[in-house]
Amino acid sequence: MTSITLDELLAMETNCDRDEVVDLRSLETVSSYDDHLMCPICHCPFVRPVRLQCDHVFCQKCLNSAITAFAASRDDFTCPTCRTPTRGVYLNVPRLLLNMCDDIRVRCPCRNEGCQEIIPRGHVQSHFDKYCGYRLMKCPDSACSKKTRKKHLSPEGRCLHEPHRCLRCDEYIMEQDYETGVLRKALREHIDTCPEVVHPCTASKYGCPVKVKRADLATHEQICPLIAMGPYFEAQNARLDSLELTIRHLQQRNEIFEDGIANIRSTLVQSSRTLAEQESSPANSDPRQESANQSQIDSSNLYTATTTNYLLSLHESLREEVGQLSHAITDLDARASMALMNECLRLKEDMAHTNAAVGSIRMQVQWLLNPRLHQGQRAGARPSNANTGNGNPASASGPSSGAGPSTAFLRPRRLSDSGREGTKL
Amino acid sequence: MGSQKRIAKELAELVESPPEGILVKLADESNLYTWHIYMDGPEGSPYYNGKFLLNLTLPTEYPFKPPTVSFKTKIYHPNVTNDDKGSMCLGMLRADEWKPSSRIQAVLQFARQLLAEPMPDDAVEGRIAEQYKNDRKRYEEVAKEWTRKYAVDS
Repeated sequence: MTSITLDELLAMETNCDRDEVVDLRSLETVSSYDDHLMCPICHCPFVRPVRLQCDHVFCQKCLNSAITAFAASRDDFTCPTCRTPTRGVYLNVPRLLLNMCDDIRVRCPCRNEGCQEIIPRGHVQSHFDKYCGYRLMKCPDSACSKKTRKKHLSPEGRCLHEPHRCLRCDEYIMEQDYETGVLRKALREHIDTCPEVVHPCTASKYGCPVKVKRADLATHEQICPLIAMGPYFEAQNARLDSLELTIRHLQQRNEIFEDGIANIRSTLVQSSRTLAEQESSPANSDPRQESANQSQIDSSNLYTATTTNYLLSLHESLREEVGQLSHAITDLDARASMALMNECLRLKEDMAHTNAAVGSIRMQVQWLLNPRLHQGQRAGARPSNANTGNGNPASASGPSSGAGPSTAFLRPRRLSDSGREGTKL
Repeated sequence: MGSQKRIAKELAELVESPPEGILVKLADESNLYTWHIYMDGPEGSPYYNGKFLLNLTLPTEYPFKPPTVSFKTKIYHPNVTNDDKGSMCLGMLRADEWKPSSRIQAVLQFARQLLAEPMPDDAVEGRIAEQYKNDRKRYEEVAKEWTRKYAVDS
């Protein structure tokens, strides 16, 4: 957790820079990485990150250039991100951060030379130093200024840059483009284009036996009759191909049909066998079927007759089934009409009940209204004697109250309690 | 140089996924430090429908020194000088405000935002700022006319 001053940091940089061969910032990243792993100054994943007091992290090199850029006033150097005045730098950043940066996949820096490796960034340096065969090395011959891929360096320290002549033409190929015993890609390419290479006529597949050097090929092709026929042959070939294809289709379909026929035959044989068994058993009581069986016995050897019999029996069973179904339907019909009637009866009863209830309610209402009407009449007849009239409507309602149900008592009792009691007692 | 790598990276990002209404090109293919920005006037502002050309110049010390932005197309705006230079006053581009962690994309988006919402308190053209504050209608009229005159079909 010790911090060092900015000047110490600057001094460190010059030391560290020497042993760094691979520029980690120029590597092509293959995997995507989080934006937070990006140094805010160089916009690359952190390379040797350091931390400021404010917890902001930068590449050591970027921070150095930032410090030099603010060189005028090193004492009040501020964090490039948050502008907190900073004096000290911490070299320890969380290992997690380092690991995440080192784990980013990159391509080998020797990609242009042909190395296809994709490696974690942390291993690039060692891959480049020790394993990469495409790294360019100085030619062992001190007089030669060219560079050689590492894997071509020969143990005896020979210069591979001496041009050698192609065996057939006069073009020069460098020895480093050979590979021991095997022709390297460059040479192969050369052979593909070398005018001295003997090449068969393009019509060789149609039977032209001529083989000439590539340079003479053009003149031969002008006179070769098979090349003139070429398009016709092509068309014929195409036709043959398509015909073969249709034949194959037809064969397949034919197979399918044959299978189907075999199936049908086997089922027929089976059904005839079952029928024969049926006829021997006395289970069938249907006279019609009996007769059918009889006829079947007559022609049991005939294939066609058995099928007819089979169909007839099928027909019979179907008829039986239909009969059963119609039975079931009539049954259901009867049951449904019964249910309907039951329901109707119940409803009728209910209605009668309701009617009776309505009648009784009407009677009660009438009975309740009666005293009122009487009172009104009597009040109109004798307005001076309203108090004594109380007893009279109660006695008038007496007989009707006997017929009314018990609920009818509530109202008159409230109207004239004493008078009513007297009447009842 | 470290600055070149970062500039190339930012340019690639901007060309690949340009922000709305902003098109970035190098003024000269061989020079990473001068960019041409084509900016569409934001909708709802008097600059709408206009296409403005801006110059963005990056110092060699980038990202430690801020870039400078100037309008090549004439524009009537309180924060853009009304002369040949067309310098734009962006708070974040002042030397003491600039942070190395700021991106050019942010600068451009900020500039476009300034077209939509001028900042009269931070103005370089005091007269236009006055007008913007006190007579918004007239300001919009003039700005629209200038846009039509200089920034459409140029």
